[in-house]
Amino acid sequence: MTQIPARDAERYALGTVGVSKNFGGVQALHRLSISIPRGQITCVIGPNGSGKSTLINILSGMLPLDSGMVIVDGEGLHVVHPYEMPDLGITRTFQDVRVFNQISVWDNIMVVLTRRKLLPALLERGKASQRERAEQALRDVGMWDKRNSLAEDLSYGQRKLLEMARAMALDASIYLFDEPFAGLFPQMLTRVKDIFKQLRARGKSILFITHNMDIVRELSDHLIVMDSGELLVEGDVDEVLARREVIEAYLGD
Amino acid sequence: MRHQEVVGGHYEVQNPVVNIVFGLVVAGVVAWALFEILYPRLRGRFSRRSIQGAVGLAGILAGLYTGLLLVYPDNLHLLFGPVAGLAVGVAVALALREGLVRVTSSEDGPMATLVPAIIGLAVGAGAAAYIADRPESGLYLSWAVSCLLAGCVGLGLYRGLYVTLRNRARSPLIMLVASMGILLAISATITIVFESAPRPLPPAFGSGPIEFGGGNIKGFNFFTVGVSLAGFAGLLWLLQRTSFGRSVRAIGDDEDVSKVVGINTTVVIAIVFFIGAAFAAMAGILSGHDTAIQPRMGLLLLLKGWIASVVGGIGNLYGALLGGFALGMVEQFGIWDLAGEWKDVISFVVLILFLSFWPKGVLPRK
Amino acid sequence: MTTRTGESTEAGQRLGLVGRLKNGNIELWANLIVLALVIGFVFWRGSGFAITIGTVFAIWAILTVSLNLVVGYTGLLSVGHIGFFGIGAYSVAILTSTTDYSLLRTQSIPTHEWPFFAALPVGIVLAGAVALVVGVVFNRFRDDVFVLVSFGFAIISFNLFLNAGAITRGAFGIHEVARPNIVGRTLDGELEYLIMALACLAIVSLVAWAIVTSSFGRVLTAIREDEQAAAVFGYRVTHYKLAIWVISAMMAAMAGGLFSSWTSFIDPNSFILLESILLVSIVILGGLATIWGSLLGAMTFVLLEEGMRFLPFIPDVYVGQARQVALGVLLVVLMLFRPQGLMGRYKL
Ligand SMILES: Nc1ncnc2c1ncn2[C@@H]1O[C@H](COP(=O)(O)OP(=O)(O)OP(=O)(O)O)[C@@H](O)[C@H]1O
Ligand SMILES: [Mg+2]
Repeated sequence: MTQIPARDAERYALGTVGVSKNFGGVQALHRLSISIPRGQITCVIGPNGSGKSTLINILSGMLPLDSGMVIVDGEGLHVVHPYEMPDLGITRTFQDVRVFNQISVWDNIMVVLTRRKLLPALLERGKASQRERAEQALRDVGMWDKRNSLAEDLSYGQRKLLEMARAMALDASIYLFDEPFAGLFPQMLTRVKDIFKQLRARGKSILFITHNMDIVRELSDHLIVMDSGELLVEGDVDEVLARREVIEAYLGD
Repeated sequence: MRHQEVVGGHYEVQNPVVNIVFGLVVAGVVAWALFEILYPRLRGRFSRRSIQGAVGLAGILAGLYTGLLLVYPDNLHLLFGPVAGLAVGVAVALALREGLVRVTSSEDGPMATLVPAIIGLAVGAGAAAYIADRPESGLYLSWAVSCLLAGCVGLGLYRGLYVTLRNRARSPLIMLVASMGILLAISATITIVFESAPRPLPPAFGSGPIEFGGGNIKGFNFFTVGVSLAGFAGLLWLLQRTSFGRSVRAIGDDEDVSKVVGINTTVVIAIVFFIGAAFAAMAGILSGHDTAIQPRMGLLLLLKGWIASVVGGIGNLYGALLGGFALGMVEQFGIWDLAGEWKDVISFVVLILFLSFWPKGVLPRK
Repeated sequence: MTTRTGESTEAGQRLGLVGRLKNGNIELWANLIVLALVIGFVFWRGSGFAITIGTVFAIWAILTVSLNLVVGYTGLLSVGHIGFFGIGAYSVAILTSTTDYSLLRTQSIPTHEWPFFAALPVGIVLAGAVALVVGVVFNRFRDDVFVLVSFGFAIISFNLFLNAGAITRGAFGIHEVARPNIVGRTLDGELEYLIMALACLAIVSLVAWAIVTSSFGRVLTAIREDEQAAAVFGYRVTHYKLAIWVISAMMAAMAGGLFSSWTSFIDPNSFILLESILLVSIVILGGLATIWGSLLGAMTFVLLEEGMRFLPFIPDVYVGQARQVALGVLLVVLMLFRPQGLMGRYKL
């Protein structure tokens, strides 16, 4: 068991070992083993349909595993329930922006700050500390002015930012972002990059998906390249980007 | 919390308001259908205005004719007989032509059109004359009239309401709630017009009991089974063998794509609504002859139909038949020798079991 | 910020404001009209009328408020709520009835003669227990399938009331359901009963209000919008849905208890599927995800029947049916133009 790198809780925050996922004949993930270094920014790249989102869905417990296991802080899990995510210190965003549409921006944030258990939640009506956190999260992405509008009335980019704010309002140690930079206004792009760097500076681990190689170069420390549900290469970003197969596939001609 | 209703008052089949409403619906539906059919073909030769005028006129005539039928139900054999004859004639002619073309495998010669036309004309005229001679055929003609009317109402609802709703709806629940509203409104209207008490339909053929397999069975029940099998076969033929059926299936798969490849989705769905409503009407008539009619008889039957299609597999015609059959058997014989009054409970328990453990049904759609 | 984003935010706000104004107007109008109608009817028909109407309103309103918790806040379009109402009604009726059924020649059931306030909690708890079981089974369903199975619940419970004659006396119904008795005083007077019903309504509304303004209520709306996303942020979605389902069922059972002791006679006809459909319609009419809207909806429904008496061509026996027609048409119009209902905060 010792050769599984992700088992090393000191170095790796999260990982998978031999994870497979099949959707009625489509092998979305095939024996995938990866590890996500603690306190670093890890990027996943790969062609469309190569299973990147499926990987995040598995890591966040939204899809059951066919086989293999997920490793969180050195502990191997065969079954991951979505509702355990905050306890495991994991938070995420979705590729197809999933905010809570018909409630206000403010409530969208507050939802992740309140108590999880039924009875405490019933008796709780928003503490000052929670409100401060929510305000901070909204200000971080420049959405404070919009706090009273319904999430469904926001533009795509704004919803994306809201989703980001929601993920970050949760006090997590592992952040999973599914294409966080797609469709963002350049200025917002810089903002989100800064947020990423801040998170890293605070020792958080980030896993994100992107198709933009400039962002990969600029942000990531660790790079995972996937193709048809399998791991192509994984490693330090400079090393991986120097490899021939990656250059051929991604860096053109 | 229904307040106790005193059922009483005079019952009158002839309700002018109802007749007028039906007339208007038929007028509108006929005009719309004719316009949709004719406009694309005659666009080059006539102005939009004149086509609109013509179909409008046709619609008004159809509406008036409907009114006539409804006001003089006793003379259905005279008033509707010719139409029925015409329908029979056209059907015979078309079938003959189809057969002739297939046998001789030659395309349209004058013979291939003329001979079937003449035979069709003769058969149709004969049928019309036969019907006109027999006032007792009025009952059966009224079935046809009812189905057509129901079809028109279905189509009218689709055109007048569902199209708009579908364009606005963001979730299927909108349609469902709107349908619930329509159900409330229509069933209450029927109650107001025709009272809520169950009323028997006049006896049709075969209402007497026959000895069968150790029990007494109404001959009419065999007829019911026959009609539903025939209806099923007809639907199957329509869906599997005709170009209309192909369009329907295409729309079922993906409506937007169908639109792009040139299927007139509005018309196709409208026809589906027409057929659906007409079939539902036939089911109502048959079960009405079996027991009695009642303003609220539809809802439970409808839910049962829904259950049958879930059990059989949504979107699969054979599944629907199988599901309906299985549900009927389970209801009638019970599972644990329960008495007949529990049959609704049995159906829904079956439904919930199926949804829990076998949500795709027996014959899932591929 | 460049001008482009600046413009778009501004435009967004302008649109939002206009939209809100428009909504505000409809809501305001709905409130004003209903209140004016209430006052008008009370003055016109006198206090006896007001007391009857008020009691009917209170009972319906408890139902609509409770159902709104499930339909409006949690997004589960349940058409089976009448079943819980019936459980409450039958529990109170069976336990408090004072008729000696062995003397009647029809179906006989034992007589218990409990006081109302002992029977009501039994009904409420029983409804809660049934809701728990039903909820566990129904938890996996959503959208139109949920609607279908909830129809099923309504029909199954109706058939139980009708066919379990040994417990419910089936179609014969249960007579002489007891009126509540508070510190030795039986609430025989209609006015007393109205006050008690309104008090119950107030309690239910307050509880509902406390729920929907708490963190719990916020989570419910999040679950309504995206169950999986809510789950990923740490919420046991099934537990939340079950909890609100049970709470709502218990409220409905309370309304049922009030109803049966108010009419003093119940039979299965009060718990038919149609009533359930009416109930959902009222909730949608008043507005989804709003408690005040549910109160307004119940009031509108009650007034609608009286209003129908004005129509010259509707005989009195058909007033209820005419109201149903009106409600159906209203529902269709709402679905076309205002899918959140009059005061709603949630569009279907
Ligand atoms: N819920 C699902 N049901 C069925 N098939 C699915 C499901 N989710 C993903 N798939 C399939 O799994 C494969 C991988 O999908 P996935 O979304 O993980 O790709 P991706 O790498 O995120 O692609 P993209 O870059 O386009 O986002 C695809 O072939 C997809 O069709
Ligand atoms: Mg993806």
